Amino acid sequence: MSEIINEKVSVITVYDSEKGVVIPKKIKWQNRIYTIDKIGYHHTLKEGRKLIHIFSVANASIALKLRFDSETLHWTLEEISDGIAS
Amino acid sequence: MELPLNTNAPAVMHIDLNSCFATAEQQANPLLRGKPIAVAAYTTDNGCILSPSIEAKKYGIKTGMRVREARLLYRKIIILPPDPPKYRDIHLKFCIIFRDYSSNVFPKSIDEAVIDFSDTPALKNKLTNIAREIKSRIKKEIGEWIVCSIGISINRFLAKLGSSLHKPDGLDVITYKNLEDIYKKVSLVDLYGINTRYQARLNAFGIFTPLDFLHAERDVLIHQVFRSIVGHYWYLRLRGWEIDNVEFERKSFGQQYALGKWTSDSKTLSQLLMKLTEKMGRRLRRAGFSARGIHVAVTYSDWSYFHHGETFSQEMFTTSELFKKVMFIFNKQTDRKIVCKLEVSCFHFVPKQYIPLTLFETDKERQWKATEAADEINDRFGEFVITPALMLDTKDFVPDRIAFGNVKELRNLMN
Repeated sequence: MSEIINEKVSVITVYDSEKGVVIPKKIKWQNRIYTIDKIGYHHTLKEGRKLIHIFSVANASIALKLRFDSETLHWTLEEISDGIAS
Repeated sequence: MELPLNTNAPAVMHIDLNSCFATAEQQANPLLRGKPIAVAAYTTDNGCILSPSIEAKKYGIKTGMRVREARLLYRKIIILPPDPPKYRDIHLKFCIIFRDYSSNVFPKSIDEAVIDFSDTPALKNKLTNIAREIKSRIKKEIGEWIVCSIGISINRFLAKLGSSLHKPDGLDVITYKNLEDIYKKVSLVDLYGINTRYQARLNAFGIFTPLDFLHAERDVLIHQVFRSIVGHYWYLRLRGWEIDNVEFERKSFGQQYALGKWTSDSKTLSQLLMKLTEKMGRRLRRAGFSARGIHVAVTYSDWSYFHHGETFSQEMFTTSELFKKVMFIFNKQTDRKIVCKLEVSCFHFVPKQYIPLTLFETDKERQWKATEAADEINDRFGEFVITPALMLDTKDFVPDRIAFGNVKELRNLMN
């Protein structure tokens, strides 16, 4: 089941200079810390000239869709999913 | 004299991402991998399945089914709405990979592309090795869950047939040596361009299999079956001669919308038509054209339809100009029934630079400049930041969708 959230979250990321990638590692949402095991997919989209990064990440029990606004540098949790049919 | 089979070495590759939208969602969300899922236009019972996953296809779930029907085949199927920015991103990434091998890359849709290796240095390598390398790079550079089927052959038609032989993760080569064996294994409707109606027409002339089709006489195909030069094109195509390497210029811009809530309410319909017209107008102006033709199509809940197009003497450029003509044509309907689908398109393009300027700025020119200014604001801050007033309260209508077929406008993002 998936749920639209659209709330600001705190994110710890790591930048790997050899691979040239940013990897979200931990997310704090509603006072809980979620550790990320895997990035499923990263893509960008434009809203006007603003560049938005979308990180689809997951651990063993939850998948999260994160949005990073490169203009404001804010992170938003857009959606969560447990991978089970509703 | 019968034309022989094309005995040239294969130089055309057709790549088809398997279950593209569904696989993209499974790539993004690892918790969905290995499960029957489907991407549907709407996640409600009447929503149309756009892309079932490889696992869902094993239950008989197909593109075009309703969500309701899919749930009857597999109760626990996970239905997801489409995420067009993700699919566009994947499309652009795979085109970038393909361009490393040849400059002749021709995207055919959001999930298919043709690479023509003719006269390229890459042809010195075996194309099967290049195909395996492309598969490996797609997994490494786009996503480990993304798979594709690849067909290699002497023309685009046979390369596409090759890519359809084994799914998922197929790699097939068709040459003059195994062509007839391949035709023995497939049916007429497996050939790209032959649907059930063409099949019936072929059957009426004693052509029941692709092998019959290959052995049919050229004159029969031209003068009896297809009654046009199309018969000659099929005669060449089936033998491996290239006839499809033509890129057509865009002749229209269109937008269509399948209504979530069917209605005959004129205010709602005019708001939807305005939003469709605004989207169409933005694309028309971005391409540097004005248009002189408008076509409107309406499908009703009883599956009857109305459609009408006209060419006008004046060029249309602003959304307002386009919308006036859209409503003029829309109001020609004789019945006002409940509507389930709307389509607007514009045609007969005039390049904007050829529109005669006047010495003193007219109202028309001021309107055109205001439209260009609004377009610049929307380009800077995002779509629909400035909209016609009629579009208030239409935020959730006509959502972003991937069109079936050609993705010419995405190519501009690659250059």
